[in-house]
Amino acid sequence: MSISIKSVSKTFGKFAALRDIGFDIQRGELLALLGPSGSGKTTLLRIIAGLEFPDDGPSVIEFDGNDVTGLSAYRRKAGFVFQHYALFQHMNVFDNIAFGLQVRPAKLRPGKEQIRERVESLLELVQLGQFINRYPSQLSGGQRQRVALARALATEPQVLLLDEPFGALDAKVRRELCVWLRKFHDETHITSLFVTHDQDEAFQLADRVVILGEGRVRQIGSPDEVKRHPKDDFVRHFLGLSEELHPGAWV
Amino acid sequence: MNSLHEQIGTRPRQNRRATAEPAWLKGTLIAILFLFVAFFLILPMSTVFLEAFSKGTGVILDTFRDDATLKAIELTLIVAAIAVPLNTIFGLAAAWSIAQFRFPGRNLLLILIDLPLWVSPVIGGLIYVLLFGRQGWLGPWLSDHNIKIIFALPGIVLGTTFVTFPFVARNLIPLMETQGKAEEEAALSLGAHGWQVFWRVTLPKVKWALIYGVILCNARAMGEFGAVSVVSGHIRGQTNTMPLHVEILYNEYHFAAAFAVAALLSVLAVITLGIKTLVEWRAARQQLASQEIPPSL
Repeated sequence: MSISIKSVSKTFGKFAALRDIGFDIQRGELLALLGPSGSGKTTLLRIIAGLEFPDDGPSVIEFDGNDVTGLSAYRRKAGFVFQHYALFQHMNVFDNIAFGLQVRPAKLRPGKEQIRERVESLLELVQLGQFINRYPSQLSGGQRQRVALARALATEPQVLLLDEPFGALDAKVRRELCVWLRKFHDETHITSLFVTHDQDEAFQLADRVVILGEGRVRQIGSPDEVKRHPKDDFVRHFLGLSEELHPGAWV
Repeated sequence: MNSLHEQIGTRPRQNRRATAEPAWLKGTLIAILFLFVAFFLILPMSTVFLEAFSKGTGVILDTFRDDATLKAIELTLIVAAIAVPLNTIFGLAAAWSIAQFRFPGRNLLLILIDLPLWVSPVIGGLIYVLLFGRQGWLGPWLSDHNIKIIFALPGIVLGTTFVTFPFVARNLIPLMETQGKAEEEAALSLGAHGWQVFWRVTLPKVKWALIYGVILCNARAMGEFGAVSVVSGHIRGQTNTMPLHVEILYNEYHFAAAFAVAALLSVLAVITLGIKTLVEWRAARQQLASQEIPPSL
């Protein structure tokens, strides 16, 4: 699925979190939303998911050319992976992953056997087969993250939105999951958008990077483009490139 | 607690924790606590049962065969059966909206929910008399339409509901506030609509706190005296609840009968306490069970 974001603004009280954001996400693309904390990247992700609504006015979100701006989250059904996973604490891994299928209206709900098969194949995919009866509190951070991913994928969403997917993990697990996610994306080509404040993560994973700062899009481009040709001082400074570009500046 | 005591007793002095008090002080404090509990709680409670049986079981049986007593028990159960579900629904709704939304008047609402805990229950009863009583604001209109609220079941239900208003909500609000709404948002993004989110995610999350609040609410509803006393009118065999019935029997010098009904109320309280303990035990066990297996990679 392709996504168009057109002149999206969002204010909380007097604080302008997003100002006139606009860009497109191609079908099958893996895109990173990169920016310092407070740049509005999580807000934008939540607006795309329908968990937050943009200001009235010109703001428009389109999924495959259809205006979904007014649709609530449960109608948009974007797969969303939360920063702290937001797994259902009172459900075991199976019920967590099956949730999205089980809440479907009777007509669209797969049978019990099909649900079990689907959950098992997803657990296979995220390599957690033996943990099917565990509760979230019995899992490590990396395992929880993978359960959250499997849960988001269970309903076969057309788009996957990930909020700081590796933020709360230690370095080793983070690297492994990073590699896994890139591989997963290369196999499925599901349109994906992830938020991060870590440029290495963004450059390593993403096809294109959108750099946000103070609620505005600062630059959009491939990792190479952004690294080689930072558009302005904000990007240069954020990426820590100022010294590189002016080697003699401090001497 | 026992093992802690042993540790303190047997460990060499330099290993003692800085916050641990000397054994003699600890012993004295605990002894005082037990004496206090015995004197103010256990002694009076046992008196209730001793007095009830003082004239033999015949009096007790007679008491519970008496129509007025039976009616009082029935009324108490009916009132609790109405007031408790009302406050459960209200408490859930209030806790949910307060935890979920930020709106003007939110803090005021929080204070108002606590109001029944602050004011005397008698005042709680009185406000309904002032509103619905014969001389009250709505009194003439009500009597024109032949609706009886004060000195009748509706008044007693109102008074009881007022007094037991905060219990469910108070139990849920802090829990719901700390839990946040991430799980609810996850459910929404997975295609669940409002009711499904509530039944499948929100309610199970607060299940034990809710049951606990309902039990407290019920205990208070069955034992309420002050508010009910004002609105009921003490019509024997009609508007007397169990606590009021105890008072009447006592004032009429039927001591053994009064204590027999009081004993029944106490038994209800003990049962409530038992259920409460069970709920706490099960909640704690579930908590433990879900953390038993150590996390591993």
